[in-house]
Amino acid sequence: MSVPLLEIENLRTYFHTDDGVVRAVDGVSLKIEEGQTLGVVGESGSGKTVTAYSVMRLLAPTARIESGRIAFLGKDLVGLPERELRQMRGRDISMIFQEPMTSLNPVYTVGWQVMEAILLHQKVSRAEARRRTIALFREVGIPDPETRVDAYPHQLSGGQKQRVMIAMALSCDPKLLIADEPSTALDVTIQAQILDILRQLRDQRGMSILFITHDLGVIAEIADHVAVMFQGRLVEYGPVLDIFSRPQHPYTKGLMACRPRLHTPYKILPTVADFMEVQSRGAELTIVEKQMPPERLAQLTTQGRGRLLHPRSRLAQIGHPWEEGQHAPDTTCVPEGQSPLLSVQELKVHFPIRRGLLMRTVGHVKAVDGISFDVYRGQTLGLVGESGCGKTTAGRAIVRLLEPTAGRILFDGQDLARLSGRQLRAMRRRMQIIFQDPYGSMNPRMTIEAALTEPMVIQGIGHSSRERRDRAAALLEEVGLEAAHLRRYPHEFSGGQRQRICIARALAVEPEFLICDESVSALDVSVQAQVLNLLKRLQEKHHLTYIFISHDLSVVKFMADMIAVMKDGRIVEFGPSDTIYAHPRTEYTRQLIAAVPKDDLEHIRQRQAARLAARAQRLSA
Amino acid sequence: MTLRSPPPEPLTAGPPASRPRPPSRGYWSEVWRRYRQKRLGVLALLYVVALSLVALLSPAIAGTKPVLCRFEGRWQAPCLGYFVEKWEDRMPVARKLRKRYSPERLKEADPESWAIWPLVFQDPYRRVRANEWPGRPGNPSGMEGRPSRLNWLGTTPTGVDVFAQLVHGSRVALLVGFVSTGIAALIGITLGALAGYYGGWLDVLLSRAIEVVMCVPALVLILALLAVVDKTTIWHTMVVLGLTSWTGIARLMRAEFLKLREMEYVLAARALGAGQARVMFRHILPNALAPVLVPITFGIASAILIENALSFLGFGSPPPNASWGNLLKEGQRSLSMWWLVLFPGTAIFLTVLAYNLIGETLQEATDPRLREAAK
Repeated sequence: MSVPLLEIENLRTYFHTDDGVVRAVDGVSLKIEEGQTLGVVGESGSGKTVTAYSVMRLLAPTARIESGRIAFLGKDLVGLPERELRQMRGRDISMIFQEPMTSLNPVYTVGWQVMEAILLHQKVSRAEARRRTIALFREVGIPDPETRVDAYPHQLSGGQKQRVMIAMALSCDPKLLIADEPSTALDVTIQAQILDILRQLRDQRGMSILFITHDLGVIAEIADHVAVMFQGRLVEYGPVLDIFSRPQHPYTKGLMACRPRLHTPYKILPTVADFMEVQSRGAELTIVEKQMPPERLAQLTTQGRGRLLHPRSRLAQIGHPWEEGQHAPDTTCVPEGQSPLLSVQELKVHFPIRRGLLMRTVGHVKAVDGISFDVYRGQTLGLVGESGCGKTTAGRAIVRLLEPTAGRILFDGQDLARLSGRQLRAMRRRMQIIFQDPYGSMNPRMTIEAALTEPMVIQGIGHSSRERRDRAAALLEEVGLEAAHLRRYPHEFSGGQRQRICIARALAVEPEFLICDESVSALDVSVQAQVLNLLKRLQEKHHLTYIFISHDLSVVKFMADMIAVMKDGRIVEFGPSDTIYAHPRTEYTRQLIAAVPKDDLEHIRQRQAARLAARAQRLSA
Repeated sequence: MTLRSPPPEPLTAGPPASRPRPPSRGYWSEVWRRYRQKRLGVLALLYVVALSLVALLSPAIAGTKPVLCRFEGRWQAPCLGYFVEKWEDRMPVARKLRKRYSPERLKEADPESWAIWPLVFQDPYRRVRANEWPGRPGNPSGMEGRPSRLNWLGTTPTGVDVFAQLVHGSRVALLVGFVSTGIAALIGITLGALAGYYGGWLDVLLSRAIEVVMCVPALVLILALLAVVDKTTIWHTMVVLGLTSWTGIARLMRAEFLKLREMEYVLAARALGAGQARVMFRHILPNALAPVLVPITFGIASAILIENALSFLGFGSPPPNASWGNLLKEGQRSLSMWWLVLFPGTAIFLTVLAYNLIGETLQEATDPRLREAAK
């Protein structure tokens, strides 16, 4: 190899804000050879996106490249005038973004937008551009490309839009494709397809990809080399197999361990803090590696209860009879005769579609269409499915934030669907819900103290404001924060801390039953592990019963005793979580499980071998 | 479930120990911090504060009535007559002197008396005649009243001092702005909140009502009303302005409520058992107010402009009422009397500009995109 395609040397990109200088990228050196994929992985704020944007020089006005060299085929991009750079963008280097919904202009057809990109950089006729667009659409796997060319963005699904974005990025046959979390906003099955297409394109065209993601699993699926970033710095860099088989840096080790996997041995997830300690002295960070003592490791795998399944008679009824030896040794069943805490029967939530001047109902969206399940005291029920399957609607209908259209929701024998007014308010003390968005689920105008004491005021818990304040402080400490935080406002906390506060707020009314609606989906993996551990610990301590709603199969598997797989408003499969993952019975569940990115070494070796074969084939052809 | 101090938990990796940090700021103090960084906005705010002070102290700045006097052994403040005439009527000194005050007349009526006089002895409603103040000539009338040592900003054709009229006119300008926009804000926030929160047929009804009111041209409605009412006062104008200008606020408020109603913290409050009033007033309203503040400020500016336009057209508050628009109307008769156009015109321009600048700065300071960026 002579000159690498892209070589970044000691790049420093700083943001100059009102509050001082933020070192977003602080001395990063990377290299991409032709036809290779470099995966850049890191959590939010690690500087991975800023690195990519520095290459394209698409930085915000407050950002400046302080020093370093970005050489593209030997040519330094840092000092290049804007005009020359604009010519390179799209032609030599192109980019796809995270959000396919907003990356396309809704007033033009998707074909027009791809054609525009072609016409901008190449001297071809409109007819030729259109022909090439159709060919590109075919290449990225858009069905029926001749008609889809004339479709508007809203007529396509999320996965198809991302394919259009890829087609647009490929339109001028770039040498380097920068993909910024291209699959994060998509469902797992769609994500698997997009990764497939990117792999194919790379191998057929010999294109290089700079792939940015927070998900190590995705990295394992696509990258040849991996760069791990932490707080603007490159902490580890090497071939994918080396990184996954022998991670050197404690941060990489922590990041890998804290991810719940489908086959995780842990009952409690290790966190990054188990592997390293960050000492900050001003702007300087020192990372100190910690050795995990064997007792701690033992704790992680043994502490906590085993799975708690439905009573044996019920298991037999739902077609998953108890078989000795088939379950983990610490798996137990709810004793026979105990009645479920929550029993949902034929729950339906339909939203009317209204049209016309008189808002007549012309049809219904059947968001939840007749689901039934039981949850026993102390259990965790996982509700899993892709976006739009009705899992969130179901959760909200159970706590009566939405009115159920039909069906019964028996909570401790009482039908929630029929409660109103005072009775409903009393029932809200016993069941709570935690939402997804840690930024949207706290009132920005209320201090933490006000947010935590409000539920007590509503439910008449505590006699004086002093007593409530003390309880709020105790709650904060219980979720791992400090009483000193009471005076602060939500915007002063990180996403993980806010989610802890939301948990504390839900616990303020001393509920028996919690619905976690994608409660960890918006968090970084290392924070996610902490929150999952917290939820598990709280469950044991307070004998809570959970419904855990998530699109992430690994997380649900880690948390849930029983799992319900939802699709199109119905439950397609229900049973003990380990059994469902080991022996999925429906095609849909099988697809879902197969689509989860795998990061075991065998899988990575296979991918690499397939890669080399494809490369050899291309070069010989 | 009991909540005592939790037992030591070996398995939680707590968040990193927090460094000492500045005290927490609430939303409004954060807005104020960002507002202060904009020089023009602060300047405009200072201007409005200064104008409010001028309006409040106007009888002490320019007038022919003593600010405070000791007359027949009692403290009296005839200058309050500029605010409400009745107050002055009840004062013995006003009855005795038939509202014609001067140091000489005061001494004549009560040799023991003394008084504090306004800074400038000029009346906003009538011509000051010769020797009203000992040894001082009367105001020139007709075309002769150009700015001079005694009449800083000149006089009108009828001999009324322009400076005094400007100072007293600031009262009308501010009052019109605040009262009419206050009425508009009250109606707009209430109806918008109701429409946005409850939705359904109430929303349909209120939205149509908003559209109907939007179609009514405020100026024409005011003219029609003034033709019907016998004795129009400035208050009629304010009420009509308030009743016609709430639609923008209502629409914005409705949109905010529609959006915030679905926020997860509102859902969380509902799930905790919060009643409708609590959800509306404690969770949604405080978050919806910031964006509404901007059209309210712009509304004040436009109300001031409309009132002056009405006065200019001759439909405003009838004399004796010092409105800047009235002055402009007089100046329109003869362009050679430039001081009748320049000074009130500048006053109107600066005031409207100041409110618009405040609105714009507020918009930047309360921008939701900045709200998160301020973390």
